[in-house]
Amino acid sequence: MKNQSQCIFSFLLLLGLAACSKPKSTTPVGDSKQLTVGAAFETLQTEYWVAGFEAVRTELKSRNINMLEAIADGDPNRQFQQVKNFITRKVDGIILVPKDAKTCIPMIRAANDAQIPIVLFNRPADRSDVQSTAIVADNRKLTRETVSYMIDQARKMGTKHKAMVVLGDLGDINAIGRRDGFEDAIKGNEDVIEVAARVPSEWNQEKAQAGVANGLQANPGIDFIFTSSDFLLPSITSALKAAGRYRRTGDAGHVILGGFDGDATAYRMLVEGYLDATGVQDVYFEAQASVQALLDRRNGKPVNELILDPGFVIHQGNLKERSSRMWGAQVKK
Amino acid sequence: MNPSQGITSTTVGPAKGRFVSLLRGLPFSEYFVLLLTLALFLSLAPFAPGLASGSNILNTASYLLPLFVAAVGMTVVMITGGIDLSITSIIALASVTGAKVMTTHGDALHTVLGIFIMLSLGVALGALNGAMVALLRLPAFMVTLASMMFLSGFAIWSTQSKNIYDLPASFLALGKELPIALSIVMVLALGAHLFLRRTVYGHWLYAVGQNSMAARISGVPVAGVVIGAYMASGFCAALASVILTGRLETGSPVLGREILLDIVGATVVGGTSLFGGRGKIAWTLFGVLFLALLDNALNLLNLSQFAITIAKGLVILLAAVLDSARQRFSRGAL
Repeated sequence: MKNQSQCIFSFLLLLGLAACSKPKSTTPVGDSKQLTVGAAFETLQTEYWVAGFEAVRTELKSRNINMLEAIADGDPNRQFQQVKNFITRKVDGIILVPKDAKTCIPMIRAANDAQIPIVLFNRPADRSDVQSTAIVADNRKLTRETVSYMIDQARKMGTKHKAMVVLGDLGDINAIGRRDGFEDAIKGNEDVIEVAARVPSEWNQEKAQAGVANGLQANPGIDFIFTSSDFLLPSITSALKAAGRYRRTGDAGHVILGGFDGDATAYRMLVEGYLDATGVQDVYFEAQASVQALLDRRNGKPVNELILDPGFVIHQGNLKERSSRMWGAQVKK
Repeated sequence: MNPSQGITSTTVGPAKGRFVSLLRGLPFSEYFVLLLTLALFLSLAPFAPGLASGSNILNTASYLLPLFVAAVGMTVVMITGGIDLSITSIIALASVTGAKVMTTHGDALHTVLGIFIMLSLGVALGALNGAMVALLRLPAFMVTLASMMFLSGFAIWSTQSKNIYDLPASFLALGKELPIALSIVMVLALGAHLFLRRTVYGHWLYAVGQNSMAARISGVPVAGVVIGAYMASGFCAALASVILTGRLETGSPVLGREILLDIVGATVVGGTSLFGGRGKIAWTLFGVLFLALLDNALNLLNLSQFAITIAKGLVILLAAVLDSARQRFSRGAL
């Protein structure tokens, strides 16, 4: 027992002594060597993040820049450690996908202190004293445009529609932006759309499937569904099939369906005629802009704190023209 | 018997025999995970860039402190044969509650009040879990799973998903300044260790975990012991929340959501039994160290997260198998 106490105490004491000593500061790296960038993603759980990760890797490779990778699996504490690891390894820049807008601020501060440029991919930080550049899709605007297109389709039919919105994890700023964009689009169109169900998914496919199935059972008249992410489309499809409501555009009983992201499932469903529209985040633009912003910051050039990915709405009417820029269409190939 | 054989058996044989028996017994040694951690560190240090550097060790220490604090609480509950799945939700709810109180005024009084409320909330929620397990005889898994869902939903609803920022600097120092965080953790760990090993209540915890019926017949107040264990777990979760909230400078309704597997995993890998009656704070420290080192080293080797997750899953599975083998070994079935 005495040994146990000594063991715990000795270890913690050693750690304490180490903690009291200041780590060596990082030194600036010369331009002659190959650059190394650390990419710290919060998750790779959906196709979008995998596509974004690969787009960043491809962009860095095309510029002969080495990439270190770290995925935090949704844990901001782990991500902080990973960012500090990058700093310890004296990377030339960091591309970060944070868990949220607040917990990333100490990470950005740590990079700022080490004079390592840092760019936030797809998720911005809140206003604070730290310096970074964020490349983000305008979630609210793009959702508003997508849902507005869907409302136009509903209006053309001349009947009032009952709507369902599948919400994301409301701890995620992107999910909040998409929820707000949906509500913006509905406002003023209550003569055509009545929101009958708001289904929380917490970015979980099983919860989405159960929620949509329950919603369809409770409100059989629902004929308008918007999902906050395309990765939930298989769950919605499954629930619609079970209810005998999965029909192509133009067919009687078709449920007007829209999404956000532009993944491979959405592309296939657009081609097959089951999906009406989706808001596409331009992953390639975001990856290219992230790396460019990082290099510009490193070279001391002025860079905006926010670079907006305009994105675009892809729908049955413009599928052919826009699919070459839809990342889901490229993944499908 | 050939004399030479006899000589061999008395000179070389026992030494060799002792070595073989030492090796056989190694997986059952209480220092096995610590030795494994050292072996992992030494074997990967030449290949994982920066693994042995001072700053990496400090980074890893900062990362593992809140995990260790939460795992201390889990250890106490597991010793009684229970499990507390609500730890991460208590972390989140304590985080936003404390942050709300502290940001209302931002003075020293509200900082202290915020911390006090965070810790009290943890203890109260732990007491509620414990009461349902001990008095209503509900399975710990179900009770704490339900608590986890309810508290998590409540934390998100109460903040409308909004994180809380601009916390007082004196509070942030509790998580950001490693010497301060470490001092807090040292006091907790040593206190918990001495409490488990040197107090009657500590011995009661083991007795309840080994056989609650026998403990009750022997006069142990089982319900009180179980409730106390969950209160301790709630307190540890709230303390982990203080450190995490300070470290990340944010009161977040989803704080700690993803670390439940690491908390349970580290406790089990350390050697605390899933079946109750067995566990030590030192073992949990070894388990946390091992998982944190594994995560850190594989990451520095630039392996993908998929590979890291698979490796961690396998290690936790092996630990569970070893725990089961230990149980059978202790019953003489091996």
